[in-house]
Amino acid sequence: MAHQQSEGSSEPLLQANPVLVVQGIGQAGRNLLAEVGGMFWFVVQTFQETLDRIREGRAPFRASSFFRHTERAGVESVPLVGLVSFFLGLTMALLTGYQLQRFGTERLVPGLVAIAFTRELGPLLTGIMLAARVGAAFTAELGTMKVSEEVEAIEAMGIGPLRFLVAPRTLALFLLMPCLSTISNIAAIFATSLVCRAYFSIAFVYYLDLVQDALLIRDIVTGVFKSFMFGLLIAAIACYRGLNVKGGAAGVGTATTSSVVTAITTVIGVDTLYNVVYVIFFP
Amino acid sequence: MTTPPSHIVELRDVHMQFEEKKVLDGVSLTVEPLQRLVIMGQSGSGKSTILRLILGILRPDAGSIFFKQFEITRLTPRKLRQIRRHIGMVYQYSALLSSRNVRDNVALPLEELTDKSAEEIEHIVDEKLRLVGMDDAKSMMPSELSGGMRKRVSLARALVMEPELILFDEPTAGLDPVISSVIDELIINLTEKSKVTSIIVTHEMESAFRMGTRMAMLYQGKIIEDAEPEQFKRSTNPVVRQFLSGSIEGPILEGSQDAIATK
Repeated sequence: MAHQQSEGSSEPLLQANPVLVVQGIGQAGRNLLAEVGGMFWFVVQTFQETLDRIREGRAPFRASSFFRHTERAGVESVPLVGLVSFFLGLTMALLTGYQLQRFGTERLVPGLVAIAFTRELGPLLTGIMLAARVGAAFTAELGTMKVSEEVEAIEAMGIGPLRFLVAPRTLALFLLMPCLSTISNIAAIFATSLVCRAYFSIAFVYYLDLVQDALLIRDIVTGVFKSFMFGLLIAAIACYRGLNVKGGAAGVGTATTSSVVTAITTVIGVDTLYNVVYVIFFP
Repeated sequence: MTTPPSHIVELRDVHMQFEEKKVLDGVSLTVEPLQRLVIMGQSGSGKSTILRLILGILRPDAGSIFFKQFEITRLTPRKLRQIRRHIGMVYQYSALLSSRNVRDNVALPLEELTDKSAEEIEHIVDEKLRLVGMDDAKSMMPSELSGGMRKRVSLARALVMEPELILFDEPTAGLDPVISSVIDELIINLTEKSKVTSIIVTHEMESAFRMGTRMAMLYQGKIIEDAEPEQFKRSTNPVVRQFLSGSIEGPILEGSQDAIATK
């Protein structure tokens, strides 16, 4: 069967055949649905294993394991997230400031950057950076464990591997994402304050007033909610890919690439969807 | 209603297929308490699959598998996890967690699955590591250990929950003959001392006859011989005869890719 398919795809004439094109689209759609379904049940089973454990009256995982992941995923990501957001805040303030200066409205810069970051760029940038930094690490780590039969050994001992390996990682990223996107917001707002002071003669105190006037609680809540969501998505995708690795070292490499690509695409996609729903239903 | 068996493990007409390849084709097997059953067969003949089926990591396409009175194939995931605590497994490549040192590897099942205090855990870990002669390597990482040492730590980890059954997947593969004998002796001593039943999968003749109190041969998805070691040696089955002698001539290579290499 596989032999026949590879023969078919090697002939360029056949690729133009509409039946094959439709078949290809159908197959891709089916794979996508299988993937989404697999990931959904993966999350459900992780919850189930963790709840089973809590019902037995035991801690779902060791605090030390959880804090090791929060440190690796969260604390160690602070410099990256802070620095990138700082530079982006700087650039954004400069670019928008020079445009708005022509109309004498550079006072709008603080509010613009503050709203853009708290509501949108903070969570999104942090999501993308963590998908690359932490998601890749989770996938590679779990993938290697899977390939070297460590995951199976854990399962064979009677320890739920989802509860033991996935739950602490997911919870760590879920809880740390809002913290990191807050750091991203602060770094960007701080960078903007420097630009505003240096180029647009806005004093720090006035700058803070402008930011506070422009920001609504709603913007902050939206950003925080998104961050929780992105944290869950990135961790679930990374762990799912890691535990589904097939075929040795090359498999781990493929899974890691695929994990980062899927997580970044999903984060941006979900963010867009969220914005559309939010703008339509809560204008 | 299926009758609950008195055996430790029972496989009833188990069929298993991976994609196009039929691995088990109606395997029936029983293991009595305190036996050391050696399952022999060619590489890739499905020996390890049997161990994974007993642990419930794989599910058979047909047939049923019992561990004591529990039908593994019908258990909920939660119940299955509880049953697995009574079964130990030693993997071919040891499967120690590479991020944890020897002590933490052995202590893992105790820490995760029991309510024992830290002192009790320490005591049990020390005792099991002493049994396998690894008590002075407690703080070493798996990457610092040799193949034989890893195997011994893996054995200590399998023993730590006081299981009723231990499964060994190629316990001496990749080890030199002397270390192989050490591991064989260790398995014999520990299983006798701890009064535990074991199933050993191997294709190494010497080890097999040293350890086994019963031998079974898996060929083309079926158990073609099941006997005590002495009887097994005298088997008239041509496949068993060829396997025991390691000869090129015989039914095993007929039509296989490996046969071409011998031409």
